[in-house]
Amino acid sequence: MILRVTSFLNRLIRSVSFTVVSALPAIGLIAAETNDPVSKPSEGRASDEKRIGKAWEDSDNPIHILFSGERLDLWSLQPISDPNYPERLSFEGEPDGFKLWDEYSHPIDRFLIADWLRDGKRPAPSLDRARWLQRAFLDLTGEKPSLDDIQAFENDRSTDAYERRIDALLASPSYGEHWARMWLDVIRYSDSNGFDWDEFRKEAWRYRNFVVRAWNSDMPFDEFLTLQLAGDELVEGSPHNEGEQDALIATGYLRMGPYDNAAKLFNEQDRARAEVLADLTETTAAAMLGITMSCCRCHDHKTDPLSQQDHYRFRAFFASTQIADDRPIDLQTDLKAIEHHNAELDRAIETQQAIIDRWLERARDLWKQKHIAKAPQADASDSSLPASSPAESDATQNETIPEEDLLAILSENRQQVLDAKEEMASLKSQRRRPTLAILMTDSQDAPDPIHVLSQGDHRQPREQVEPGFPSVLDPNPPQWETPACKTSSGRRLTLAKWIVAPNNPWTARVLANRVWQQLFGEGLVATASDFGITGDLPTHPALLDHLATYLIDSGWSVKALQRHIVTSEAYRMSPVPKTNASLLEIGRFSATEHPQVSTRSTLRRLSAEQLRDCVLQVTGRLQHRVVGTPVWPELSADILQANPAVLDDNETKTKGWYPSPASDQTVRSLYLIQKRTLRLPWMETFDLPENTVSCPKREVSIVAPQALSLLNAPWVAESATEFADQVLIHTGENKTAITVTFFQELLQRSPNVEELEACAHFLQTRHPRELALVLLNSNEFAFIP
Amino acid sequence: MKRTHSLPVLQPSSSPFGRRDFLQGLGCGFGSLAMHALAANGQDGVPGAGTREVGQFDLLRPFAPRRPHFAPKAKSVIFLFMVGGPSQIDTFDYKPLLEKLDGKPVPESIRQALEATRHSNVFHGCDDKILKSPFSFQRHGETGTWVSELMPHIAEHVDDLCFIHSMQAESNNHAPASYQLHTGEVRPGKASLGSWITYGLGTENQDLPGYVVLFDAGPLGGAVNYSNGFLPPAFQPTRFRHSGPPVNDLIPAEMFQDGRRDSLDLLETINGIHREQHHGFLELDARIATYELAYRMQSAAMQVGDLEDEPEHVHQLYGLHDKDPRTQSFSRKCLLARRLVEQGVRFVQLYDMPDKDGWDAHDRLLENHQPRAKWTDVGVAGLIADLKQRGLLDSTLVIWASEFGRTPMLQGKLGRQHNAAGFTLWMAGGGVRPGFHLGATDEIGLMAIERPIPFRDLHATILTALGIDFERLSFPVSGRDERITGVSGSAKPIAEVLL
Repeated sequence: MILRVTSFLNRLIRSVSFTVVSALPAIGLIAAETNDPVSKPSEGRASDEKRIGKAWEDSDNPIHILFSGERLDLWSLQPISDPNYPERLSFEGEPDGFKLWDEYSHPIDRFLIADWLRDGKRPAPSLDRARWLQRAFLDLTGEKPSLDDIQAFENDRSTDAYERRIDALLASPSYGEHWARMWLDVIRYSDSNGFDWDEFRKEAWRYRNFVVRAWNSDMPFDEFLTLQLAGDELVEGSPHNEGEQDALIATGYLRMGPYDNAAKLFNEQDRARAEVLADLTETTAAAMLGITMSCCRCHDHKTDPLSQQDHYRFRAFFASTQIADDRPIDLQTDLKAIEHHNAELDRAIETQQAIIDRWLERARDLWKQKHIAKAPQADASDSSLPASSPAESDATQNETIPEEDLLAILSENRQQVLDAKEEMASLKSQRRRPTLAILMTDSQDAPDPIHVLSQGDHRQPREQVEPGFPSVLDPNPPQWETPACKTSSGRRLTLAKWIVAPNNPWTARVLANRVWQQLFGEGLVATASDFGITGDLPTHPALLDHLATYLIDSGWSVKALQRHIVTSEAYRMSPVPKTNASLLEIGRFSATEHPQVSTRSTLRRLSAEQLRDCVLQVTGRLQHRVVGTPVWPELSADILQANPAVLDDNETKTKGWYPSPASDQTVRSLYLIQKRTLRLPWMETFDLPENTVSCPKREVSIVAPQALSLLNAPWVAESATEFADQVLIHTGENKTAITVTFFQELLQRSPNVEELEACAHFLQTRHPRELALVLLNSNEFAFIP
Repeated sequence: MKRTHSLPVLQPSSSPFGRRDFLQGLGCGFGSLAMHALAANGQDGVPGAGTREVGQFDLLRPFAPRRPHFAPKAKSVIFLFMVGGPSQIDTFDYKPLLEKLDGKPVPESIRQALEATRHSNVFHGCDDKILKSPFSFQRHGETGTWVSELMPHIAEHVDDLCFIHSMQAESNNHAPASYQLHTGEVRPGKASLGSWITYGLGTENQDLPGYVVLFDAGPLGGAVNYSNGFLPPAFQPTRFRHSGPPVNDLIPAEMFQDGRRDSLDLLETINGIHREQHHGFLELDARIATYELAYRMQSAAMQVGDLEDEPEHVHQLYGLHDKDPRTQSFSRKCLLARRLVEQGVRFVQLYDMPDKDGWDAHDRLLENHQPRAKWTDVGVAGLIADLKQRGLLDSTLVIWASEFGRTPMLQGKLGRQHNAAGFTLWMAGGGVRPGFHLGATDEIGLMAIERPIPFRDLHATILTALGIDFERLSFPVSGRDERITGVSGSAKPIAEVLL
């Protein structure tokens, strides 16, 4: 069976297309067609075919040999199947079975129901519309709906009411700002280098905003990954359009790791380079493939079918990378315009310089005439001194005459020089600088040879290896891609193409699982970056494959996958705590012997970003705008000293702290500065993860310092104050009106009688600002329904 | 196959909602936890034991004390981190030969020995010229320990100290070496010792954080040093300050102060109503409990941070009245560390950085080290004396260390380069041998030649003193069980120094 896969690469590299030979259910064989219309089968192709993918059948596979045929039953090595959910299961002894089956028609629900019924469980009921909408807003945009949104939805009885809400949320610009954060966690985004000096990376934000754009525009995920690994290899010369510009910016991914800029001072640059390559290898493998390459840096993997060689084969794809932060990313036409503009200015600057030179030359002549005439007198005053030497008079003739003296000599003509200088400064300031970003590209030199390192130690190289994929899937030398960029090796493009090939068993599953985890709090595979043997097994393997297939079939559209999930009943379900699933009998099914089960067993607290953004949002302070250079909060001096390098700023302004104006402080959290050695205390208290290593999942802690922060942080108190004062203008002193408005704005519902009473009682002695602060601290505010 | 930590299975309270009921029912009443700890104490004689074992933490009560693997010698740790690399040969590693070799090149045999090791880059950036110590040395105590004139107060306590003269780090650069001393790895992103220990053991006082950091300026390489890394965020440290409100965001804005109790009561009412619709979600209960805890923490932290509460002779002992504000500042932190440990805080990490450089004397050793020694000597000595007289030194492990030492070779204008090849640290109290010296550097103090000790062995030693089997203190990350002592299993506790 031969599938013609329309890949985005067809759009980017017109002359190349792929043919995927897929012998289902085995993993297919990717053969790249070259420009030559007649495909050139490589030598030994026929025998290679059997060696690709099916290591468990192939006793020649090095991994098969290394581990004596064991470890090859790893679930995630199996090709992604396209499971058909069973049409009407047979429900022996399950009176509700058929009823349930008909009621839950969404494919996702049927996979779950099939598994649950087998365990004798019943699905939990749906959330009410208000809470579903709150959940969908928070999950898709990171923000809360307004009470108006909720009421409109409650009153909308059209059949596609849910779908329309979902589409609107997926189309909202906030969507990309929320989902970008997930990817930025996975690839350890930071605005600084880390280590001693932790220099500010002034242009890192371009990569951050590329990620936002990519998610908002639903860039196909295979393209998204490819651009990050090899965007530069797809662009020849300066970018011709914004797409190519983004392709360059996307290579910021390759630069995101920490970088020890001081290492060379201690002759440790080899260590630093080895660490960068190790980090890039391990992060790429974890983020894109869900495999753990860190173990096999030092030895063959202890549990997974990965050899130490595999780590270094993978690393070799990055061997020719070098930093290219000085490469302009302006469009070709813009760059020409900039060059032209600057050339014109340079000519004008030269003209002014000539004017200045001419006048100063004349001044020097005048000065000489005057002083050389005086010189004999000076000599005469002290006859013991010899006549001035030729060297000395040279000096007086040239540099040593202060410019102010020269200008003074020019008397009324000095203005000519001053005007020319002013003009020149103005011209210089008009020079346009090319736009820069943080970029990687291929070195023009031969790639560094990559050796297997004994115990991962760069000082103990062993045998050299060539680039190669994890042997368990493909032990052969790669078929090299021809990059559009002629000076590039094509190594990373080759890796990218292999990663996003639809028959790669990891990539689509890993992404589908990340999306599920983000929407439900827990992945179908709980270890989102470890699909190996020590990782968790998928709780619903068929469902995971269904989602992965859906993703690929929709042209790697992440929004299509999300829409598919969010329209399911599974997404609507009320949470049921694991601890008392058997105690809760409030569901729609009467059979008490069947415990209820849900896709959610815990309530998730809002993430640091969601919490901050929502406090700002409901109190009317959040600014919705795209921000470039990061916003630096004002921090007290003693907090800034967390990294003493801040106290030691340099001329290029990369080590200090540069607070942004107050008017910028209420943008979305995504845009706040993310340094590596100096974290924003409020965000850190609410579990912002370490940004030096890939974070597969946000951990949530519930600790007392969070209560202190949300009660006492000045910006929260300010938000409560500003909000309350604004409301009071409309409500006056009426306690009921105050309470109702507060609940409606802050919690998007009206208070019940009990709450009204408690609040009215509170307001008898306390200020409404304090009531606002209490509501912002409530569990209802802090948890996703 | 579940290997990640899921929420614990606890029976939810069946009693109707009421604060006292639910606190007791869920065990969120921290008083009841303390009772558990006491009960366990009575049963097996292990002090500070909880009902769970090391590392088996409950996400909803992450700081509940846990039972050590075996009887601990130390209950808490005060880690005095001298940032930037104080010179061993100018403090505690006396090398009389330097006097003779002053201005001469490094002896060929010593140079060759160093160049044969991974530490050969220590020569990078130095002149090949010995610089003798500008400080005089004297013997102290019954042990006759050599200490330079830089540390006259610490010198009085040498018989209580346990010196290791043969430490080695894997990088000769501040941040990587510092990361390694804190987390076991030169690469950033791993979990720090304080996070590991509170993850392992929880803490004794539920009204205070278990892991506290104190500094004016932090260590080189920043917050990554003392971070929780991959460990659950509950085990991140809390920074205390030695003057003013001790914790960030501890005190409400003025307008919110008077009504705080009323506000918390209303919050509890509103959360209670919400909870009725969400029965059985322990995370809601846990979060409700944090507000009560925060309220208690506010007064507990204010109390523990109130150094004026101490009598005059204690202020004197620590040098709180010194004229130099930098001495005062460091001394106050030492006193605060003692107060925290006394209140049951598990781990206090204290940095001596008053500015951006620390002990990093590339240039002008004398001008760098002399004041820094003065700023810290009296506070450290006061801390040792105070812990001892209160009987706390037995249960508190004090560590004085830096990321590396300095070369005997000259750099810049009478300065010294970093030296990861051999340097000195000392420990005192909880479970280590007093008045003891382990290991040695070569004759010029350049490289450890007798019993070289890597940081992972130090970590194994500290964990052993705390009653933790360091091989079993692990956390699953990306397919492997991470340990602070590394995954290779090569770490060994330093048997000679453990009692």
